[in-house]
Amino acid sequence: MIEKKKDFLLLKIATILIIILFIFVAQRNFDTYVIRILNLCGIYVILGVSLNLINGFTGQFSLGHAGFMAIGAYVSALLYMSPELKEVNYFITPLIWPLSVIQIPFVFSLIIAGLVSAGVGFLVGAPCLRLRGDYLAIVTFGFSEIIRVLFCNLQNITNGPLGLKGLPSYTNLWWSWGIAIFAVWFIKNLINSSYGRALKSIREDDIAAEAMGVNLFYHKVLSFVVGAFFAGIGGALLGSLVMTIDPNTFSFFMTFQIIIIVIVGGLGSITGTVIVGVLFAVLMEVLRSVESPMSFFGLNIPGIPGMRMLIFAILLMIVVLFFHQGLMGNREWSWEWLYYKLTRSKKEIKEGS
Amino acid sequence: MKRLGLMVVILLSFLLMFSLVAGAAEEIVIGVYEPMTGPYAAGGQMTMEGVNLAFEQQPTVLGRPIKMVLVDNKSEKVEAANAVARLIEFEKAVAIVGTYGSACAIPGSEVANKAGIPMMGCSPTNPLVTLGKPYAFRACFIDPFQGAVMANFAVNNLNAKTAVVIQDIASDYAVGLSNFFREAFIKLTGNPKSIVGLISYQTGDQDFTAQVTYAASKNPDVVFVPAGSYGDAALIIKQGKEMGITAKFLGGDTWEAPEFIEVGGEAVEGGYFSTHFDATAVTTKAAEKFCKDFEEKYKKAPSAFAALGFDAFNLVVDAIKRAGSADPKAIRDALAETKDYEGVTGMITLDYNGDATKDAIIKTIENGQFKYVATVRPF
Repeated sequence: MIEKKKDFLLLKIATILIIILFIFVAQRNFDTYVIRILNLCGIYVILGVSLNLINGFTGQFSLGHAGFMAIGAYVSALLYMSPELKEVNYFITPLIWPLSVIQIPFVFSLIIAGLVSAGVGFLVGAPCLRLRGDYLAIVTFGFSEIIRVLFCNLQNITNGPLGLKGLPSYTNLWWSWGIAIFAVWFIKNLINSSYGRALKSIREDDIAAEAMGVNLFYHKVLSFVVGAFFAGIGGALLGSLVMTIDPNTFSFFMTFQIIIIVIVGGLGSITGTVIVGVLFAVLMEVLRSVESPMSFFGLNIPGIPGMRMLIFAILLMIVVLFFHQGLMGNREWSWEWLYYKLTRSKKEIKEGS
Repeated sequence: MKRLGLMVVILLSFLLMFSLVAGAAEEIVIGVYEPMTGPYAAGGQMTMEGVNLAFEQQPTVLGRPIKMVLVDNKSEKVEAANAVARLIEFEKAVAIVGTYGSACAIPGSEVANKAGIPMMGCSPTNPLVTLGKPYAFRACFIDPFQGAVMANFAVNNLNAKTAVVIQDIASDYAVGLSNFFREAFIKLTGNPKSIVGLISYQTGDQDFTAQVTYAASKNPDVVFVPAGSYGDAALIIKQGKEMGITAKFLGGDTWEAPEFIEVGGEAVEGGYFSTHFDATAVTTKAAEKFCKDFEEKYKKAPSAFAALGFDAFNLVVDAIKRAGSADPKAIRDALAETKDYEGVTGMITLDYNGDATKDAIIKTIENGQFKYVATVRPF
């Protein structure tokens, strides 16, 4: 048994090395379009996994993810933009003093963005997590709308609806995929720890969990804060990737996209979220070809804008009809799982013969 | 396993379709990105009518066929940036035309500028679309000019002394335009208190009682409504008239949509707005021909956005001709030198920012129709 475990460790290290090698090659050789999509994949994975921690593992249905992303995006952008760039952007209402002269490296701005977002997550989560189910969904939805409206009106801090433009594009594959791998690793370890078991017990039955001595408030807020932290970082990366942010970027539709990723992947499956997060970003682009004019054997079909949305909707319906719990349910992929599957099927073959 | 097989088949078939569409050499690819779906879809479609007409009339340049590729940007920022990246890297476009709506044009121009591919905007009027981006251009005038035109008109033609501004706080276009109008109005009247009121609402609001009550209480000479969407503007004017506001309503180029009159009805009669083009007040020969061709093809009069789409596409083709090559850098240099180009929206000269300096047109609404009032020269 000990030997086998070692094998897995080697395999795991090999997997990570292969990913790192892939990122290295991709960052150098792929064109910017492919890199942009791969970046989006990484960001969707970060956002999906962090929302899955709240919605899937803790069972608290939150609709506030866009709000946390907005906070992360704005905090980081205000910190890493150069003072000259800020002056160009705030041409209607000048930026208030301390923010207008600050400029710090990207990596620190990311961390601070995550921390501020987590702090707000605590402030919002502490009172709201007394609510359950639909009520929590409504309150968190309200929160993300409040953030959007606040950011629209605080012109001397956020530049209001004009948004921030011309942001330097720091986001590259190292950032997006590095943080995505870190997020997956962190949340996986959290789930498999005693905290994780407490979170899952809250999801299954919070009264029973409380009776068994699980501190409901502490664990719910913990998962909310961790989720908000990664959402903030994801928002910051997205802002630097798109190179422009405004409050309306982080509307309810943004949350909705992330929720689709989580639900289609399977509530309570990190693997599912990763797969669908990547597929979501890739399919949105691949399906564009459906909208362009095509010719099959001399038959010309004019391009219909909006077709890919339709196909996307059909794919969603297929998932809802045939995979009730999402693509992965609550199963996880791992080398152990693969090994177990392979050895078991071999045994079955042997027994059969 | 059956399910897995099914998924694989579906994926493979997508990949096949994907590869079928790619390919073909020797063509000069001009990419177009427009909002064909989402809240700006109406604007994107009007623009495409003009672009398609221009493409039909000029399908070749330098003896090589032009391949026009349209990509939808869903009226979203992230999608707009993706769309432009796709046009550049996947479709290998040498120049890009688009888009309606500054909100989508700004991320798009960032991507194009970074990749060194020239982009010609049709109707994004926010100054930041081209500012500091040598590869970004536009065929329309910008908001500081538009705001000044309306302030000028209000002060000189309507003898306005005071104004109230009702702005859409969630639209960068509206906030920018409102700001430039206020600056110009204060300068022209010489009275720092001439803007007696400024009040905001959110895109998609339905009830504007609070805003119009506030505006009515200030009793201004004019009310400026730079709405991000024509529907909001129409509702504000309707509710304002019901509240007994007798002041003239003024607005920007978003007003010019048939739906504006449909929603506003009688209430919007007598309002004034600035726009880019009018079929009854054409100034160039190209415009006469354009109006004729457009009516033949679509059986209706061209809108300002169609005219701008037509101009934007032709400006790019013209630049390719003058550059004598399909090299993006050469096209950019040729575009930057555009001077007195005879477009359908007037004579177009691109300034050092890449913005068009050209006439604005003021229109009013009379008997349920848009009616030409005046042409304002750039100052």
